[in-house]
Amino acid sequence: MNRRSFIKFSALTGTSATLASCGNPEYHLIRFIPEDRLVAGIAVWKPSICPLCSAGCGLTVRVMEGDAEVIRDGKLGVTKMGLAKKLEGDPQNPINQGKLCTRGQAAMEVTYHPDRLGHPLKRAGSRGDGKFEEITWDQAMAELTGKLDALAAAGNQKSLAILTRPQRGARGAVLAEFANRFGAAAPLAFEFFGNDVIRRANEMSFGKAQLPTLDLAESQFVISFGADFLGTWNSPVAQNVGYGQMRQGRPGMRGKFVQVEYRMSQSGANADEWVPVKPGTEGVLALGIANAIMKQGTRKASDAGHAGTLVDGWMTGLADHTPQEVEKKTGVTAARIERLAKEFSGQKPAVAIIAGAAVAQTNGLFNALAVNALNALVGSVETAGGIYFTPQPANLGTGTNFAKNGEIGAGAQVLFVDGANPVFASPKAWKVKEAISAVPYIVSFGNFIDETSVMADLILPDHSFLESWVQSAPESGAKTAVSMMAPPVMRPLHDTRATGDVLLEVSKKLAKPLNMPWQKFEDAVKEQPGGNAGRSPLPKPAPAQAAKYAEPQFDGDAGQYGFHFLPYPSIAFLDGSLAHLPLLQELPDPMSSAIWSSWVEINMQTADKMGIRQGDLVEITSSQGSIRVPAFPSPGIAPDVIAMPVGQGHENYTRYASGRGANPIEILAPVKEPETGSLAWAATRVKIAKAADADGRLVLFAGSLRDYPPEGMHR
Amino acid sequence: MTHRWGMAVDLDRCTGCEACVTACRTENNVRIAGPEESAKGRSIAWIRVERYYEGDFPDVRVKFRPVMCQQCDAAPCEPVCPTYASHHSEEGLNAQIYNRCIGTRYCANACPYNVRFFNFGNPVWDRPLDLPLNPDVSVREVGVVEKCTFCTQRISAGKDQAKAEGRELRDGEIKPACVQSCPTSALVFGDLNDPESAVSMLSRSSRGTKLMDDLGTQPKVTYLKKEY
Repeated sequence: MNRRSFIKFSALTGTSATLASCGNPEYHLIRFIPEDRLVAGIAVWKPSICPLCSAGCGLTVRVMEGDAEVIRDGKLGVTKMGLAKKLEGDPQNPINQGKLCTRGQAAMEVTYHPDRLGHPLKRAGSRGDGKFEEITWDQAMAELTGKLDALAAAGNQKSLAILTRPQRGARGAVLAEFANRFGAAAPLAFEFFGNDVIRRANEMSFGKAQLPTLDLAESQFVISFGADFLGTWNSPVAQNVGYGQMRQGRPGMRGKFVQVEYRMSQSGANADEWVPVKPGTEGVLALGIANAIMKQGTRKASDAGHAGTLVDGWMTGLADHTPQEVEKKTGVTAARIERLAKEFSGQKPAVAIIAGAAVAQTNGLFNALAVNALNALVGSVETAGGIYFTPQPANLGTGTNFAKNGEIGAGAQVLFVDGANPVFASPKAWKVKEAISAVPYIVSFGNFIDETSVMADLILPDHSFLESWVQSAPESGAKTAVSMMAPPVMRPLHDTRATGDVLLEVSKKLAKPLNMPWQKFEDAVKEQPGGNAGRSPLPKPAPAQAAKYAEPQFDGDAGQYGFHFLPYPSIAFLDGSLAHLPLLQELPDPMSSAIWSSWVEINMQTADKMGIRQGDLVEITSSQGSIRVPAFPSPGIAPDVIAMPVGQGHENYTRYASGRGANPIEILAPVKEPETGSLAWAATRVKIAKAADADGRLVLFAGSLRDYPPEGMHR
Repeated sequence: MTHRWGMAVDLDRCTGCEACVTACRTENNVRIAGPEESAKGRSIAWIRVERYYEGDFPDVRVKFRPVMCQQCDAAPCEPVCPTYASHHSEEGLNAQIYNRCIGTRYCANACPYNVRFFNFGNPVWDRPLDLPLNPDVSVREVGVVEKCTFCTQRISAGKDQAKAEGRELRDGEIKPACVQSCPTSALVFGDLNDPESAVSMLSRSSRGTKLMDDLGTQPKVTYLKKEY
C-alpha cells in the first residue's frame, strides 16, 4: 500500500464511520447494493445522447454518488447510487464537438422531474379526466398482450396504429419491426415543425430526401431564407460551432451573413444584413438573385444542372424574375437584389439555406426548389463551405415516415402513443383529439401526462434517456456518417421499463409470438446501423416537371384578417414538448427576455397606432378561433405580421406548464403545402384587438426594449 | 506565479443562444424563482444575455451581450461590504463568502453591472429536482447575495489536478460552465498573468472594450466588438 492509496483508504473508512454515527436513521439502511465504483465526492463521466431534438448531440454526463429515493420491486427506499449531475457536450462527437445548447443542458430535468410517471398506470376515470390507478408491470403486460391477442384473433392486426416522434436509431427500429411482424402499419412519426418540404425538395433537386449539413465553418457568404439555424432548426449546436468559426475563426477572413425573413429570429438578429420580405415570396427573391447573377454573366443557367431544370424558366435566364419584377412581389429593392447577387456569386464559397416560415407556405416547395437551384448555380452542393448530405445508415426505424393530418389514429382499434403529443401540436381543425378519442384502446409509453397521453387507457412509462440504452444516427450535422450508442448512465429512479424491452417482451408473450430478431433492447442498440458509411456521389434524381411560381395562398380574407400570423419554434420549448422543464420556463427568450410567459410580437409602430403597449392583453382571431396573449411590441417584425412562440398554452403538462399562456397552433387554419401535404403553418391570417390594459401576465427578465427603468420593475 | 483569471467575450461570435445561461444554472445550483417571484424581478441569473435593438423596421439590428460578473480589479462591491463577505481573492476574483453575508445588499446596489442577486427566500427544488444539485457548490439561502464566481470550484479542481500530475496548468484547461458550453466559442477563459494565454491575446485585441470602463472599475472581462 503506497501513501496515496492509504490516504484514499482511510478517507473512505472515515466517511462510512461518520455516516454510520449520525444523520437520518433512514439513511443507515443500504437496501440495495450500491455501485462500488463510485467514491463519494468524486465525479465520473459517462457518455450518452441528448434526446430532446433530432440533432442527436453526444453527451458526457457527470455522475456522482448521492442518496436517492427509488422504487425497487414496488417498494420505496433510499439508496446510494450514481446520480447524473450535469450534462455536457462530448468533445469527441463530430456533431456538437464538446458543446451543448441550452435545451440540452436542461435535459437533466427530464429524469428528475417531480411529475415524471414512475409506475404503470391504468385509466380509472372516464377518458381524458386524468384519473389513473397504479398497477404492477405484470398486470400491465397481461392487459397489453390481451388487447393485442384479441386483435390478432379477430384477424384485425392492421388496426394497431403506432404514433411516435421522429427518432433515428434502435428505439425506432424496434417499434418498426414490432409493427411489421405484428402486421400493423408502419409507425408514423409526428412533428409539428416538420421538414417534409425540405426533404422533398432535396430529393427532387439532389436525389437525397434529407436535411442538409451546413458547412458554415468554411463559408464566406451565407444567405438564409427564414432558417433559424442558430436557434432551433436542424442541428443548432453544429451550426453554431460552424458559425463561430465562419465569423472569427479564420484570421483576416470574416464570412458575411444575410437573413431573409419577416420576423426577426434569433438567427436573424445576428445577420449583417436583415432583409424583410413579404410572406411566401422567399423563393422569388432567390430567383431574382439568380436572374441577376446570370445577367451579370458570372454563372450561366446550365451551371445549376438538374436543380435548375426544376424551376420554370430557369434555362432561359428567368426572364419573368428580373430584379424589377421581384421587387414588386417581395418588397426588396432591385438595387439590393443586384448587390446581393454580386456578393453571392462573387464570394466563394457562398451558401443559401431555406427553412422555417419560407417552406411553411402553400408555395413552400417552390421556395425550397428555388433556393436549391441558387445553391447549385454557384456550385455549393457537396463542396466545402456549402451544403453536404451526411451518408445515411440503412435501418433507421421511423426516421422518414411522417404523419400527415387526418392520418393520426383514424380507424385504429389499438393505438400506441410514444412521446408524440399531436393533441397539443396540431390545429383544432384537424380534429386530432376527436380522432384519438374514437380509438377504443390507447397505450402510452411517455414519461409524462400530456394532452395526448391523458387519454390513454394504459400508460407504460419508459426509462429516461439517462437510465436506458440509447442509440442515434443523426440525419445531419457532420460531413461524415455518425452513429453512436451508449449504455445507461444511472440506474432507474422509478419503476419504469425501457419501451424497447416492453415491446420485445410483449412480442414473446403474445398467443402467436412475433419472433423478433432481438432478445433485449440492448441487443437492438448494439446492432450497428447498416449501409454505406462512406461518401459516395449523389444519386441522379428522378426527372420532374419544372415548378412554376404560384402566389402564396393564405387562409382568411385580407380585408377582414389584416395580419399574417407566424407561430415560430420557441428557443426554449421547440414545439412545446419541453415546456415542462422549469429550467427552460425560466430561460429568458433571446429576443424579448420573457420568462414563464406567452406573448405576441407586434411591430412597434403598428402597436402605437392601435394603442397597444407592452403587456396589454390582445385577442388574436383567425377563421378557426381566438386566443388571448400579452403584446410585445418589437421593431424586428413587419407591420402586417404578428408572431408568437409555440410552446405554452398546455392544458395538461405537469405543474410547470399547465394553464400557462396560450397555444398559437390552436387557431391555425388547416392549410397545406399541396405537394407534400404538410401543414403550411405560416399561411394563416388573423385580426387582432386590444382586450385589456396590461394584465397579460407578461414576465420579462430585463424589462422593456427601450424605456429604462421599465415600468413596474425593480431590480 | 499567481493566477489572474479573466475572460474574453467575442461579440462577433455570440449568437444569443443562451447555452451559457442554462449551463451556469445547472453547474452552480442557481435556483429557479418560479413565475410569481420572477414577476417581482427576483429571477436569478449569474450570466444573462442582454439584447440591444437599434433602428426601426425595416432597418433593424440587434446586438447580444452576455453579461456576468466582470471580476473588477477596483470592484465597487467590495469596499461597501460591512462584513467582508465580498472581498478580493488572491487570484483577482470578486469573491463572496455566503456565510458572512448579512444581506445588506450594499454590494448589489454598488455594482454597476447588476450581476449580484439577493435571495428573497429560501430556494426550493421540487423533489427529486434537488438530486442533480452540484455538491461542489453551496446552495444559497434566504438573505444572502450571490454572484458569478467564474466557477471557482472548477478552478480549484483544475489546479488540484495539475498539482497531482506534477505539472503547470495548461491554458484552456480550466473552463467555467458557460465557456465550456458556448457553441460558437464566443467565451474564452484563462490566466491574464500569462501573456501567451488565449484570453490575454484576445484582451489585447484592437476590437476589445471593457464594459462601462469609464467608471474605473477595471473589469477583467473584455468584450470584442461585433464587426459589420
